[in-house]
Amino acid sequence: MINNNHNAVTSNSQPEILVAEGLKKSYGPRRALKGLTFSLKAGRILGFLGPNGAGKTTSIRILTTMMEPEAGHFMIDGISSEYPEQIRRRIGVLPENLGFPRQMTGLEYLIYYGQLYGRTASEAKANALTLLEDVGLQQRGKSLIGSYSHGMRQRIGIARALVNDPVVVFLDEPTLGLDPRGQAELLELVQRIARERNTGVVLCSHLLSEIENVCDDVVILNLGQIVARGSVAEVVGRVQQNIILRNALRVQVPSESVAEARQVLEAMPNITGVMPVGELEGWLRMELVPPNDGDLATAHQLNNKILSALIKAKIPILGFEVEGGRLQDVFLHLTEESIK
Amino acid sequence: MSDIQTVQKVSVSKIKVSEKASPTWWLVFKREMADLWVGGKALNLMLIYSVVLGVMVYIYSFNSELSLIPPKEATYEMLKNAMSISLFIGLIIGADALSGERDRGTLESLLLTPTNRRQIMAGKFLAGLSQWPAAFLIALPFMKVLSQGDAVLGPAIFWGAVTGTMLAVGYTGVGMFVSFWSASNKTSYFISLGIYILFLVPAQLPGRAQTGAAGQFLQWVNPLAAVNHFLSKHLVNYRPFSEYWTWLESPVVFALLMVILLFFYAAPGLRIEAGRKSRLLAKLARPAAFLMIAGLIVASLVASPALAYQAKQTSGENLQISIDADVSEVKTGDTVEFNTTVTNGDAEASPPLIVAMNIINLDAKGDVVDPEDWSPQRTQYIESLAPGQSANLHWIINTILDGDSMVYMVLIPAPASKESTSQAIATSGIHLTVTPFTRLNPQGVLPYVIGAPVLLLAIIYFVYRRRNQQIDMGGSS
Repeated sequence: MINNNHNAVTSNSQPEILVAEGLKKSYGPRRALKGLTFSLKAGRILGFLGPNGAGKTTSIRILTTMMEPEAGHFMIDGISSEYPEQIRRRIGVLPENLGFPRQMTGLEYLIYYGQLYGRTASEAKANALTLLEDVGLQQRGKSLIGSYSHGMRQRIGIARALVNDPVVVFLDEPTLGLDPRGQAELLELVQRIARERNTGVVLCSHLLSEIENVCDDVVILNLGQIVARGSVAEVVGRVQQNIILRNALRVQVPSESVAEARQVLEAMPNITGVMPVGELEGWLRMELVPPNDGDLATAHQLNNKILSALIKAKIPILGFEVEGGRLQDVFLHLTEESIK
Repeated sequence: MSDIQTVQKVSVSKIKVSEKASPTWWLVFKREMADLWVGGKALNLMLIYSVVLGVMVYIYSFNSELSLIPPKEATYEMLKNAMSISLFIGLIIGADALSGERDRGTLESLLLTPTNRRQIMAGKFLAGLSQWPAAFLIALPFMKVLSQGDAVLGPAIFWGAVTGTMLAVGYTGVGMFVSFWSASNKTSYFISLGIYILFLVPAQLPGRAQTGAAGQFLQWVNPLAAVNHFLSKHLVNYRPFSEYWTWLESPVVFALLMVILLFFYAAPGLRIEAGRKSRLLAKLARPAAFLMIAGLIVASLVASPALAYQAKQTSGENLQISIDADVSEVKTGDTVEFNTTVTNGDAEASPPLIVAMNIINLDAKGDVVDPEDWSPQRTQYIESLAPGQSANLHWIINTILDGDSMVYMVLIPAPASKESTSQAIATSGIHLTVTPFTRLNPQGVLPYVIGAPVLLLAIIYFVYRRRNQQIDMGGSS
């Protein structure tokens, strides 16, 4: 299981290796980006979030020099976006829907790209063997890529993105289509890349849980502009207050205790609408009456009172969740305007 | 967030470009070659190509046995068809070069490398060209067997190599240029096929349309038709290079134009999306392509048979023509040479004179003879003859059909005006008895017909076997 302990080993004293300022792009009358500004430090993983059409792919295309912005500029490793060839030497990219030459082996593929970055054949081969080991494909290096599973292809794609020892790696939906184990393994690999290589990683994903678990920082895009940015904890904390005051709690108890727990909770002040949660075994959802003063501390006190009441009634608590306390809630809250 | 000016540069041991590193175009070329030739696409196309040539040479051998096609013409036809098919292969390979990578999602990773776009284009272009020498090599034994020892083989190989290379550069370039502009492979193939057919159209026009002024121009402009015309005149009809070199202008211009378009227009703008990013150029490109195609279609219509030149005959007198041969017995494919003498018996200078050759099959049930097939000198022209002056004209005939034929010459004084006519004067005939030349027969060509595809199959088997030894054949895990 991947834990969000990455913050512990990365430091805010790291230099900023990617700085984007005021990036704008339009497709005809539609403004895809309305002034993207953010930065990334070495060794940190930045989650790039947004609903479909928010401007994620456009941002990645611009930052990887595949598209020119109409306004704004960015720097990677101190190199201005006016020098795309130099930028390309410093970045690694795993695009979404990346295709692979089916008739090449994994080893040949990495050697070829190593050479395209200016390595000699022997250097490229030595580097390719190391990368294959890093991504856990050392046993399949001489197999045709056409015979690889989807997960293996994603891993060889990441190895290719690392072939030039990049300063920043852009990963666009790297876990798309992978099973849970494959997702976990790949995210662990992403964390290792950032930690061991001191590489900045920009991770685009629709899976909010993976961003929450893996990323240090997050940028949430909506309708072409940033609606939240900062560390995951900062973003969640900043938005949480607005959500929590009008939202709900969920508590899980043994199924035989559901009726008793419901009685206890319904008897408490400031709680309304205690209901079982759909098909979920033992889960009860209750809505909180917002405190008159709107104070967050008062709301937190109420959480403690609920737990105390259940403990006092000797009802085992199997789970407890504040709606709005997760990145997913924050994301939905921030992007609901566009969804509406 | 920090200001952009304050970004520190972190030199985290990024790779340095090695001085010993191979140039990018070479890496891309090798990769593309492996993809084409080891991956199997080009080898499989070559196998089909060799089978098609084999079938053709077998048919020619049948015809040759029947003395229908002389060695020169059969060699030329083989070269022409080999070039047409291999150019199509080159066009298809070129058409796949960029849009195919777009479809397969592999172009982006190539463009994400710091490689120079021109070098990417160069590597792909050279790999796309590689099919031409291979196709030409495969065609050589077939040309040799059809030439039956005729001296045409040497010039055919030389001019085939020269003109074929020019056309291969142009056609592969067209394919790649279309591929550059196409978002999908399907579009690229479709447009390329259309262009290929468009180039073939002038060659399919009726004979008189091809010889009319517009038809001639259209053939001259069309690189494939121009090369075919040049080869036909030079190899089959003995016409000297100096007389027909202008027919090589359009293939040279075509090849140069495509190289310039590819390397100076397309390559710098190569990107994931189709075409260049300039909106103005993108807007202009479609109407320009439409106008070009429409122009070619209009030009084809202009060259219709209805507009072909039609001659009228008129007057002349006191002119004489004689011939220095009467009978000749030869084999099919042999050459017969003779002279005619034209004398002006008038007290005045003659008008411009035309001497035309006619060949008639004496067998009422035999095939009609087309003198153009038999001789490069169907007609010769004399500007004018002074009173009492004579002019000698030399003629060459390649005997094609066996049987009894009569060759005779006709002298025609050019009419003075549109309203006047002239009297044609005929010579006595040369009675040609042509017996069949049967060195080439279907059994004789069978080793070539079967051998080429079998050899290619052996090469394919060897390549696949060697490749399989290099790779681990394990399944996915």
